[in-house]
Amino acid sequence: MKSLIIGEVSNGSLSSGTLEIISKLNSEGVDFSVITIGSEQDPQIGSDAFENTYLQLNPDELSLSVVADEINEVINTNSVELVLASSTYVGRDIVGFLSVDQNSSPVSNVIDFTIDNSSLTTTNSIDGGESEYITKITSNVKILIIRPKSFEPADIELNTNFTSKTIDKNELTSPVHDIFIEEKTGPQLEDSKIVISAGRGMVDVENLKLIEDLATKLNAAIGGTRAIVDAGWMPYSQQVGQTGKTVKPDVYIACGISGATQHQVGMKDSKYIIAINKDEEAPIFQIADLGVVGDTLSVIPKLVENL
Amino acid sequence: MKIAVCAKQIPDPANAVSYNNGKIARPEEQVLDDTDRYGIEVALQLKEKFDAEVTVISMGKLGTQKGIQQALQMGADKALVIEDESLENANALMTSNVLSGIAKIAEADIVIFGTESSDGYSGVVPQQVSRYMNLPCISYVKGIDIDEETVLTRQTITGSEKVVMPAQCVISVTASGVEPRYPNFKDIMAAKSKVVEPVEISSIEFNAEQNQEFVEIKSVSSDKSGEKHVDEGDAFNLIIEKLKEIKAI
Repeated sequence: MKSLIIGEVSNGSLSSGTLEIISKLNSEGVDFSVITIGSEQDPQIGSDAFENTYLQLNPDELSLSVVADEINEVINTNSVELVLASSTYVGRDIVGFLSVDQNSSPVSNVIDFTIDNSSLTTTNSIDGGESEYITKITSNVKILIIRPKSFEPADIELNTNFTSKTIDKNELTSPVHDIFIEEKTGPQLEDSKIVISAGRGMVDVENLKLIEDLATKLNAAIGGTRAIVDAGWMPYSQQVGQTGKTVKPDVYIACGISGATQHQVGMKDSKYIIAINKDEEAPIFQIADLGVVGDTLSVIPKLVENL
Repeated sequence: MKIAVCAKQIPDPANAVSYNNGKIARPEEQVLDDTDRYGIEVALQLKEKFDAEVTVISMGKLGTQKGIQQALQMGADKALVIEDESLENANALMTSNVLSGIAKIAEADIVIFGTESSDGYSGVVPQQVSRYMNLPCISYVKGIDIDEETVLTRQTITGSEKVVMPAQCVISVTASGVEPRYPNFKDIMAAKSKVVEPVEISSIEFNAEQNQEFVEIKSVSSDKSGEKHVDEGDAFNLIIEKLKEIKAI
């Protein structure tokens, strides 16, 4: 099945999501090429094992619809049958545009797929990971959006062996200003060994200070549930769950989180889960390795003090 | 200025999602997807500034129309809705094909969505609608400043950026940044006289196809047999011991 990966650049290299898709296609023995999107200069994203075309964007313009035009042409010229992107802001935008041109609805949040000759079946996680939803894709061109952390990233040597192309604007391009890069201090959610997440049980935004203290002690990244992100306690970039990020740390500490299925999807594959919650019936305890039935507001300060 | 804003009716999220032959089971009474409240709030802020007309657009089983009413109660002017057997279990592309058709009927300059619905969560419908309508797509908007011009703040992977809202565009709004309003008694009464107009699928140029065939739902056994302790003031010790045991500290 002739395949095309829509890749992304991160810190001068291929993003982990892209490397995860590469590793899956390698294990399926599928021939693929990569089109990588980014605005960084001179990244190391090439390989001797596959073709990579770098579509370089102007960071001052929103021009992903032009990128979609380019990719659409590549799909048509090369009779590509399978298109894969990572579930990121950029990946979802491009795939959204592209799927209309191809008249092929993408499958989102795919955690696994199998290829059997020209047939493709995809797996989605539902019920907070309690069940898997299996679908067969029947269109000629199949488009998948892969959930990050579904596969181990490929361990490959990257070089500068790739083709570059600059993306121009068109009538749909919008200028961008006031670009703000969030300060990345401390461990980041996606790659931290320990993640501490807060939920409604923290009662008040002021109490997040406790979570910060604990995170400092444990060198951990901080996440939160959709409820507290919606409440404005934390930015969307820190949301863990179905509509936020997927994390798989060595240790996940859920503080005052009841464990709605939408949250569980984003963290249930953590190696060791510690949950602290007042409500002993909270669903989070069903997936916790260590459950503490108690008030997080009293447990955390003692933890901080004694660590 | 005319605005179309999407309002999806979903089964009450307080209950577990149930499936019927691969399809999400939809009861007669469905509620407004919380995600859409953010889009509706943005639409209403624009309405107040520019005296815009706000049309709710919705596809799917109508039932008691509770979710549509909730959107109108927030302050939208009217609703255009479509329910058709052929759209049952529609994929993302079929959904956006239909919604872009309805937005055209509403003569919308600005079309607003939440970033993804809480039940289907495909997260691509706003982008697809923008492509169908050949409009710029300003996705993942997490803030809006309405002055002489309207400035939208977008969430990006590294932080944020600002875009001046084009005169015609599609916007997707994340679940933060604006505070959705709660209707008061007057709003609730006023919604009762607002028009909910059904749209026929034949009035839409529709060519998207179903390309996803349901195979099965497999249950994945969760093998967690964790321990649970009631805190009697010393649970912190237990946590520290475990962290040491698994060599996390």
